[in-house]
Amino acid sequence: MSYIFVDHLCKSFVVRKKREKGALLREKETVHALKDVSFEIEKGELVGYIGPNGAGKSTTVKILSGILVPESGTVTVGGRVPWENRKEHVSHIGVVFGQRTQLWWDVPLLDSYSLLKDIYRVPEADYQKRLKELTEALQLGDLLRTPLRLLSLGQRMRAELCGSLLHSPELLFLDEPTIGLDAVSKLALRDFLHWENKEKGTTILLTTHDMEDIAALCSRVMVIGHGSKLYDGGLQEMLSKYDTKRTVQVEEHQNIDHVIAAMYKDLGL
Amino acid sequence: METQYRGAVLGGLVCQIFFGIILVAIYRALYAGKPQTIPLGHVTTYVWLQQAFFRMLLSNDPELLDKIRTGAIAYDLCRPLHLYGYYYARILAQKVTGSALRALPMLVFAALLPEGWGLCAPVSVPALLAAIVALILGFFCVSAIENITMGFTMRTLDPRGMQAMLSMLITIFAGNILPLTLFPDSWQRVITLLPYAQLLDAPIRLYTGEYSLGMLPQVLAIQGGWTVILILAGCAFWNRNQRKLIIQGG
Repeated sequence: MSYIFVDHLCKSFVVRKKREKGALLREKETVHALKDVSFEIEKGELVGYIGPNGAGKSTTVKILSGILVPESGTVTVGGRVPWENRKEHVSHIGVVFGQRTQLWWDVPLLDSYSLLKDIYRVPEADYQKRLKELTEALQLGDLLRTPLRLLSLGQRMRAELCGSLLHSPELLFLDEPTIGLDAVSKLALRDFLHWENKEKGTTILLTTHDMEDIAALCSRVMVIGHGSKLYDGGLQEMLSKYDTKRTVQVEEHQNIDHVIAAMYKDLGL
Repeated sequence: METQYRGAVLGGLVCQIFFGIILVAIYRALYAGKPQTIPLGHVTTYVWLQQAFFRMLLSNDPELLDKIRTGAIAYDLCRPLHLYGYYYARILAQKVTGSALRALPMLVFAALLPEGWGLCAPVSVPALLAAIVALILGFFCVSAIENITMGFTMRTLDPRGMQAMLSMLITIFAGNILPLTLFPDSWQRVITLLPYAQLLDAPIRLYTGEYSLGMLPQVLAIQGGWTVILILAGCAFWNRNQRKLIIQGG
């Protein structure tokens, strides 16, 4: 079986709405975040996972990391069912949510890292080796003694990545890691992710709205919309399919965002 | 930032000393009009010990509540941790360090006040040791109480209502506003059995000799019993929450 195996996965949420004037009961609406999604990912792959806002990307990531329990469907990651033995499962994965922070706000990075070391029970020697490797690759050396709150957004994202990878997870989930970053930081981050994937063999599932990220990193893309998987395959094939200008024989490619927008429109999203 | 921490400690000290003096003045006035069966020295000692360990009763962890509210708790769920235990340890650590910083200078100050105003010496050295043991148990107990409030926050996403209620119950029934020793005897029979009385009231009574050393096993049993019950209840509550938890948005 593949490293990540997802079969007929369904998840819905109940959203309560404000009572309308005169109505006795509150209206409830069931939102189907995931409707029958299936895919497989092999070890060592770097897969881009895209879709418009609210498509179900984060829900998938949360189910795969054991935070959410689905209604139906089969999910295994490295042979484990994520939500059944959460503690065991999460010690093998790393997560970066681009808009949230996992490090402690007021303490220097090094203190946060050594706390994470204890939480994941990383042996001291492994920790030192891994920390050295990551601080070099992410250029964090000068920042280790600085409290998180004094770092810029780009520095912070690098620090977050380091924190998520200290325990050498087999699988890394990245939820919009480049959001709000400047060009230099983005490029540095992409280089690093490429290195981590190639050198360490870490499987990476990258969720993003930044198509440049996808183009630079991923050979395989999955597109999700309205809770269903709409495309799964190579990036180039996808682009040529929806690159409207190319079909009218124009030399220059249009902006990748336009291609994606055309695709979403075509898929009725 | 360091200035902010020092300022917070200093501000807390001044505030607690102020309240201590006001409360002592009130009880002196009460005693001047109508002496109570409890000696005045016990009451002033009670007030100062309550003020010195005020931090222990105060629930004050904005980071944790923010995490629950904003959903950053998703990260905590991605860690190989027993969530309840992790937060319990955090709350306990904050209460111990917060109290330790303030209690020592406060107690020194209160001990230096003239008789009838300040802190009296413990009734005996064994009583002091017993009070310290009971205080340690009190810390475990209060952290268990607070972690249950945290559990409610996970559900309602807003700590304020629950917290307001909890701090009202705590300040009254832990004896922070009115020493429990001054409640009517019939009330005392009940409220000294509540978990709130296990936090500071029990240790203070051991200190002043209100509870004799012979009663120590009974006192510790009630404290320990509540602590175990509240931790088990909190654990079960958190586990149930965790199964239902949905990290919203993102």
